[in-house]
Amino acid sequence: MSAGINEKELQRRVAEIIIAELKLQDITAETFDPDLDLVDEIGIDSMDLATIVLVLQDEYGIKIDEDDYTKLRAIRLIAAYIQERLQAKA
Amino acid sequence: MSAAQPSSTSKYKFADLLADAAVRERWERVRKYFFLRESTYDMTSRCNIRCDGCYYYAGEKQFATDNDDPDAWRNLMREEKARGITFVVLAGAEPALVPGLLQACYAEIPLGCIATNGMKRIDDTVGYKIHVSAWGNDATSLRVRRQKDMLEKQIDNYRGDSRAVFVYTFTRDNIDEAEPVTKQLSDNGCKVTFNMFSAPEGYDGSLRHTEATLAKTRAVMLELLERYPGQVLFSPYSAVAHTHRLGLHELYSCPYPRKNPSTDIGLGRSFRQYRSDLTWDRAASCCVPDTDCADCRHYAAGSAVVTSKLYRHATDPDTFKAWLDYVDTYLSVWVTGYAKGENLCRGIVEPPQG
Repeated sequence: MSAGINEKELQRRVAEIIIAELKLQDITAETFDPDLDLVDEIGIDSMDLATIVLVLQDEYGIKIDEDDYTKLRAIRLIAAYIQERLQAKA
Repeated sequence: MSAAQPSSTSKYKFADLLADAAVRERWERVRKYFFLRESTYDMTSRCNIRCDGCYYYAGEKQFATDNDDPDAWRNLMREEKARGITFVVLAGAEPALVPGLLQACYAEIPLGCIATNGMKRIDDTVGYKIHVSAWGNDATSLRVRRQKDMLEKQIDNYRGDSRAVFVYTFTRDNIDEAEPVTKQLSDNGCKVTFNMFSAPEGYDGSLRHTEATLAKTRAVMLELLERYPGQVLFSPYSAVAHTHRLGLHELYSCPYPRKNPSTDIGLGRSFRQYRSDLTWDRAASCCVPDTDCADCRHYAAGSAVVTSKLYRHATDPDTFKAWLDYVDTYLSVWVTGYAKGENLCRGIVEPPQG
């Protein structure tokens, strides 16, 4: 993996951020299924997603386009998106 | 007025914006309400008055056959709750005429708001916020709404009622009346917020705003906010957003289904606007159907349109504070039990560009 971030680690950190920002209970970064649909299965809405995006931008120093929000529906997809942005930046 | 400013290259991190304790406190306060998912419902096609420029009596929805069965409404609310709706806006034509239906809705979804002309009091057992529409002084109401002593009757019905917020709609013709009306409401302990007349499609009457009346309205809104801070629920940024020469859709890109084909997330996914026969049409769904979108500066629309653009406003301290003030205003106007805080940004912030 380029840009020095392990895929699993990245997914775990994204999960931690989502859990912290949404104050999710009964789930940990380790047990968070990376393919769980955040909208359909967790029930997050656009405001939640916007908050998560802002925190992810801070954490990774990347810009996430507003038009790309709809791509960010699962932890695996978010991690892949971040990775792509980091690679483009490198 | 200048055009929207670019915002694509922020030098601030989100954490920087939250470093200020007052900002952090307000952010934590408003984000507790991110769970709100709204839809709107026309309760009846009947009204006890007829107003020039009424959006309800524009378009097809006025011809729906009313469903007056409280059980049908109760079932609808249960279904709405099941699909995640947590906040209902009960509107058109005049909800106060169907008290049994209001009770049925309130029993199932207790967060919401009723838009009423205020001529018939809604019973205290319905705990929704109540928006009482004011369109000017009593002389203007007689001319535009064909009602005598309208403001007096509205005040009599809702004086001291914590549910009530009077919504003063600025038209092209009533800007100068806003101060005496606000004073009268303030003297009677009534809360006030502001709306902008937004022309229904095909409207060719005299109420539609011009650039000059938009600018004048903004100045009056800001003045009233200063003069009656305890009674006026508004913010400088609310004034900017709703009196800009560009309408809300052009400024912020409206997320309601009528203008937003995406069903992925947010209002495009969850929002519905039900007619009084309990049907809905995605193509017509927004909070003020049959409004000319290019002229839409409606307070209800803005409450969702501006709020949903958190991302665009998290660019610099003033813009973020202005957005927080806007959301704080919207929550205090719409949500029972939410008290307006002091505005954090007192200057004029232009809407960020998408």
